[in-house]
Amino acid sequence: MAGEDGTGAPKTQAAPDEPRKLGRREVLKGLSTVPALGLFGYAWEKQRRYQQAKVDEIAAAAKAPEGLREINIALLGAGAQGQVLTDAMLRIHGLRFRAVCDIWTEYNQKRVVNSLKRFKHEPNAYEDYREMLDKEKELDAVIIATPDFWHSQHTVDCLKAGKHVYCEKEMSNTLEGARAMVAAQRETGKLLQIGHQRRSNPRYLHCYDKIIQEAKMLGRIVTVYGQWNRGVTPDLGAPDRYVISDARLAHYGFKNMHQFRNWRWYKGKGGGPIVDLGSHQIDIYGWFLGANPSHVMASGGNLYYDPKTHEWYDTVMAVYDFDTPLGPAKAYYQTQTTNGSQGYFENFMGDQGTLLISESEVNYAGQLYRDPNAPSWDEWVQKGYVSAPKEQETRAKSDSGAIADVRESVAPDQHTVPVTLRDPYHQPHLQNFFDAVRGQARLNCPAEVAYETAVAVLKVNEAIEAKSRLSFNPQDFKA
Amino acid sequence: MDEWKTSRSGMIAITVLRVVVGWHVLYEGLAKLTSPSWSAAGYLRVSRGPFSGLFHWIAGNPQLLDQANQITMYGLTIVGVLLILGLFTRLAAAGGIAFILLFYLCNPPFVGYFYSIPSEGSYLIVNKNLVEISALVVILVTRSGLFAGLDRILHLLVFRRTRLAPA
Ligand SMILES: NC(=O)c1ccc[n+]([C@@H]2O[C@H](COP(=O)([O-])OP(=O)(O)OC[C@H]3O[C@@H](n4cnc5c(N)ncnc54)[C@H](O)[C@@H]3O)[C@@H](O)[C@H]2O)c1
Repeated sequence: MAGEDGTGAPKTQAAPDEPRKLGRREVLKGLSTVPALGLFGYAWEKQRRYQQAKVDEIAAAAKAPEGLREINIALLGAGAQGQVLTDAMLRIHGLRFRAVCDIWTEYNQKRVVNSLKRFKHEPNAYEDYREMLDKEKELDAVIIATPDFWHSQHTVDCLKAGKHVYCEKEMSNTLEGARAMVAAQRETGKLLQIGHQRRSNPRYLHCYDKIIQEAKMLGRIVTVYGQWNRGVTPDLGAPDRYVISDARLAHYGFKNMHQFRNWRWYKGKGGGPIVDLGSHQIDIYGWFLGANPSHVMASGGNLYYDPKTHEWYDTVMAVYDFDTPLGPAKAYYQTQTTNGSQGYFENFMGDQGTLLISESEVNYAGQLYRDPNAPSWDEWVQKGYVSAPKEQETRAKSDSGAIADVRESVAPDQHTVPVTLRDPYHQPHLQNFFDAVRGQARLNCPAEVAYETAVAVLKVNEAIEAKSRLSFNPQDFKA
Repeated sequence: MDEWKTSRSGMIAITVLRVVVGWHVLYEGLAKLTSPSWSAAGYLRVSRGPFSGLFHWIAGNPQLLDQANQITMYGLTIVGVLLILGLFTRLAAAGGIAFILLFYLCNPPFVGYFYSIPSEGSYLIVNKNLVEISALVVILVTRSGLFAGLDRILHLLVFRRTRLAPA
């Protein structure tokens, strides 16, 4: 090897330091970076052990502490949401996964079962939920996250088999289905919680209990605005090697793989974006306003997607009337699926203040604006109900250089909701359910409450079809 | 590079560079391989810039996405190992450049686009991807594997055989 070591040997080779013959030195040079790979392996092993230790830690923490009976649970529906719920449940004390049921045995079912095994659970896997109910006698509760059109049958059968049920929203895609669920709950006396998880979110609970009810900081809420804007999303698909046979799809009520993956968009399976997204937030309207709506008018359409594969409206705008205990109110809600700007939030506007809240705390920390004419909030700031105000200077000139006009209202003080949720969104709601199973809590979203929301939400699609303002009868909300 | 020579210390520095880049690429690949649920879908879906159409298309096509995931996971792992070992160095460097260039183009920090993905630094046109690409270009053109790497041994074996062959 000429040259490179400065011996002054002739430098004629093509590449720098091109070797000439294979000697010991050459071999050593050739192998000189192999130890780096060994070092990598060592670091990698350390890293893996560290991660496994973390996993073990969580698994150990989730073991029932002394005196806490383990609750035996099964997951029915191991899709996207089934996984989200599973991840949240793995952080809750005293749960034992006994079974996972999903018809997509070769993909979703496998994925969730594998993720549970990593946390030392040994769930049995089933394709047919009846077989699971037959065989898994010791189950206490079933967590249901199947497509909406299965909820009613799954919930009713699980309740009748003597299990407590946590069922995802929307309670059902039909009111008959939802009514059957309420009836089965009453008949069996088992618990039925519906997955409107904001009902257990400490931030929302704080807003309702402290800010709206106790401190009455908003005064009388007269108008509400809320939205879920989502950007264009491609249809869900599946790799060819995981495609489900037509016979199995048909057996479980799906026309084809596209419908199986995108059931939300199909009539008779889901309810479209207004039900999928809107129901979470319209649920909050009723909760915070303390009333069910009296009327709804709505406009919707299939403006963007192919109606053959997107049977439900991709864009919906709805206006509800409420007769609240404090007086009439109007609430607007929109969901559209072609532009995600400003995301999702609910905005409650009272004569003394405004509350802008969203499950997505990173995007909306929970802003409160006090109307300049409203009584002082000092007491509530001191009590820690809201943060100290950020003074909004009234600027003669705004950032853009535009001149403020004398007719404009003075910008209100801005406060924030001082409560934060550090756990996954669904964890507190699941925790509430399991606490109730242990007899230590009342459900935050029992069947009757979710039924009222289902009535309010499903009516929007009806109103769009009817092209007119529809009214609710107070009796409609009783299952 | 036939005309100029890199000094010995220069070659050592480039070898260190090669091992370090290889280490990073290898870990990127292995971490994805061993994560139960990694998919490029999320990254592709938020793609911005002149090539976003292509990336969105891949994200929306499950067959293609599946292949893209496999190629990325195994590709990065293999490239990483080869770079550390200095084996097929130029091929590995070229492969690494291709991968990272795709990552770069998926979310390029061009004027008007650099808000797209929350990132830990501030970038204008040049980001760490581009720096790593440049490092791989250096590794590629200086044939660092021949200096310290299995390529050296390989080269000698082949070289000797070709010399012996006509004899
Ligand atoms: N609370 C929330 O924030 C939230 C968020 C997303 C979804 N959801 C709800 O969760 C539910 C599931 O939604 P997703 O996004 O997970 O859908 P998904 O299509 O990803 O998953 C549904 C799963 O159910 C399985 N399945 C279908 N029919 C079945 C049957 N008869 N028996 C057993 N398994 C069956 C499918 O194979 C699939 O794995 C829906 O009701 C949805 O509204 C709630």
